Amino acid sequence: MSLKILLSIFAGIGLGYFFLPSNFLQYTDIVIDIGLCLLLFFVGIDIGRQKDIFSNIKTMGFKILLVPFGIIVGGILGGIFGGIVLSMPLSEAGAIGSGLGWYTLSSMMVAGYSTELSALAFLSNVIREVIALILVPFVAKHIGYIESISICGATAMDTALPVISKFTDSQTTIIAFISGLISTISVPIILPIILRF
Amino acid sequence: MGIRLLIYLTIIAIGTILGYEEKISTNVGKKLNLIQNICLFFLLFIMGIRIGLDEKVIKSLLSIGYRAGIIAISTIFFTLLVIKILTRFIILKEGENRFEP
Repeated sequence: MSLKILLSIFAGIGLGYFFLPSNFLQYTDIVIDIGLCLLLFFVGIDIGRQKDIFSNIKTMGFKILLVPFGIIVGGILGGIFGGIVLSMPLSEAGAIGSGLGWYTLSSMMVAGYSTELSALAFLSNVIREVIALILVPFVAKHIGYIESISICGATAMDTALPVISKFTDSQTTIIAFISGLISTISVPIILPIILRF
Repeated sequence: MGIRLLIYLTIIAIGTILGYEEKISTNVGKKLNLIQNICLFFLLFIMGIRIGLDEKVIKSLLSIGYRAGIIAISTIFFTLLVIKILTRFIILKEGENRFEP
């Protein structure tokens, strides 16, 4: 999966850098919008098919909601701290952190703001996902199951879910899905708010 | 951005309702993962094209990579910290320990 991701991006970079005229950039906006809408539609179908999700929230109580809350707060704080270290605008760094590992959406959402920030949001969230996937088994074993969900951010409901399921228990897997779902929904709402500061 | 956000959420909601009501045929359902992957890789490809078209970004990729790594590590560290505090004092405060290893 990681190799396919890298190949897709580098094929695009090669095509853009060597073969396409610079005015092609304006046409990519509409293509990205269409692709993103399609992706969100299928993500929605995936969510809808998990029928137990809403009754699970009721059974486990409101405390589950603290997990995505902590993920969002931690993501923004981490982004801001990174911004302080790198002496970059804190709103931009915080916005990258609030991407919660969802690199496609976060990079697309800041694409109109600046291409460089878009690349930074993309790379940062890709690196976060890769590091998180590697750390899940270690964190689950030595720190805690809920903590292992948290580092995956929004990806806990899709790419990271099989790994979480393997290294924790079934209840944690359900919490991971709910937490990832709420984190996913929060990204398109919180990111533009942070960026506006 | 407001209208765009509304469009995104509406599309997710339509997908959720269709998925919940099982309006999507089993055939499409089985291919959902493949369709999502195609969308994802296509978006990544276009994203790559945008990066490739921007010479400034290409030239600063090394510095962006380093900055991206710092933000990613910082984000993971602070997320762990906040969740650790929340689990210790609120989520598991009634002596629950089933989520601990």
